[in-house]
Amino acid sequence: MSMSRPLRAPQLGASAGSWTRGEMMAVAGSHQVRADDVVVVGLGLPQVAALLARHTHAPEVSLLLEAGIFGTAPREPAMGVADPRLWAGASAFGSLLEILGVMLHGGRVSLGMLGALQVDQWGSINTTQLPSDSGSVRRFNGSGGGNDVASHAGRTVIVMAHQARKFVSDLDFVTSPGHRVAGVRRGQLGLRGEGPCAIVTDRAVISLGPDGAELTAVHRGEDAELVVRDTPIPLSFPPAGTAVTEAPTELELELIRNELDPLGWYTR
Amino acid sequence: MAPRVDKRASLADAVRLVPDRAHLALCGFAISRNAVSFAHELIRAGRSHLRLTQVVGGLETDLLVAAGLVERLTYGGGSLDRFGPLAAVNRAALAGRLELFEYSALALSLRLHAGAMGLPYLPTLSMLGSDLLEPLLASGAVRLDRDPFTHSPCLLLAPLHPDIAVVQVDRADRAGNCTIEGPVWSIPETVRASRAVVAVCEEMVEVGDLDPARVTIPGEYVTAVALGPRGAHPTAMFGRYDYDRKHLELYEQAALSGEDANREYLDRWVLGVPDERAYLASVVG
Repeated sequence: MSMSRPLRAPQLGASAGSWTRGEMMAVAGSHQVRADDVVVVGLGLPQVAALLARHTHAPEVSLLLEAGIFGTAPREPAMGVADPRLWAGASAFGSLLEILGVMLHGGRVSLGMLGALQVDQWGSINTTQLPSDSGSVRRFNGSGGGNDVASHAGRTVIVMAHQARKFVSDLDFVTSPGHRVAGVRRGQLGLRGEGPCAIVTDRAVISLGPDGAELTAVHRGEDAELVVRDTPIPLSFPPAGTAVTEAPTELELELIRNELDPLGWYTR
Repeated sequence: MAPRVDKRASLADAVRLVPDRAHLALCGFAISRNAVSFAHELIRAGRSHLRLTQVVGGLETDLLVAAGLVERLTYGGGSLDRFGPLAAVNRAALAGRLELFEYSALALSLRLHAGAMGLPYLPTLSMLGSDLLEPLLASGAVRLDRDPFTHSPCLLLAPLHPDIAVVQVDRADRAGNCTIEGPVWSIPETVRASRAVVAVCEEMVEVGDLDPARVTIPGEYVTAVALGPRGAHPTAMFGRYDYDRKHLELYEQAALSGEDANREYLDRWVLGVPDERAYLASVVG
């Protein structure tokens, strides 16, 4: 464990003085959600980040799940998007064609929150396959609704753990297109929406736009130079310099630890 | 007057509707509402060269692939949620034993929707620019074109017509009317695109007992109804029973360990028990 890494949070009820990287990632991810967003939420950490936003600054946010769920408001942590726990408290049930077709393809979804195995500087995502150490290929979950979200949401936020090997200039597989694919801009490909606006990791916030990636902020306790070293894609820096993310509030940490992820599946 | 049509069948009879080389569509979603009892019976009966379609892959698909019944899978990706990947699917694909066609979940749902409606094709703006396209273009199932009105790029999706769909439902009557509690993901278009439909139900009720407003699958689409309570085990049925965490972990550990462990799982829990009653007795008592 490097010295720059924040202390690992102890058990439930810990003071707000320390937090895990996963908790910081959930908090920073939640800050990307606007109060009036209509969100399609992907598998994993995005679930925690989106729910945290609903519990804090965005109580009216509409959270949709591809299985056909409107307005999810779960009371228990869930093993994923197919866990009925995540569907509890929903306002309506429908179909995948309604969520990904009518709501998303129909242009009614303002934000998509997605995980990633690999990203490039244009915010294109690989969730399909990676080379293994032995030189063969390892297969993962594939698209699900991920490609659809990246193709049609008003904007997308990528939430993923920060490891150097996950940032590449040439994806092993483009599951979900970002601002450009092979030099072609998303509009020319026929895609709508603004494309990805940020990669939120457990160490930093990287803003994305049609001109590339910018290291907007590093999380409290992180060394910006080490973060840059571990982000091997072309990065620009804000004119005023890279900021430091606000520390999680006591309320945010309490919500994560006691309600949203009490067993630490996603954040510890 | 109650209709005289009676589509009730045993699970074993329903399985006979799926011959070798059939194109079978499955309706589970990761760890929810998988027709596991049907998949088990199919494995016990033995089939080969099946082609599967499933919008979001789950346990039933991994079981059938692990048992060596499947030669092609058309899907929109899939997993067992946090329990892990579709390990048997991934292993078989990498070993070249399984031909894989991966779509986005919406694009595959639209292919089924086109099939259900008898449309020549449906356009979409999903999958443009992605690496999903290349093998699908080569397969002839999708085609890059331009919107004839705006001339911007769009993707044309060929309709999909599975031979038979299998779905685990909540309640059904003998005429084949079925209810599904909770979200229905791609079940509506999957069953409507298929030439035959087997519904495995948790409860069989009398004709007339189902509220028509809650009938998700009208009997007109359904070929056979089999009673299979707890037939989704170890996956969840919304509002009825939870997934079996321990059993899913046990399966995933075996599937991830390799082909031998995966095969031992099937020998112990599927081939090693005579039928679903015995399987359920051994896992849930």
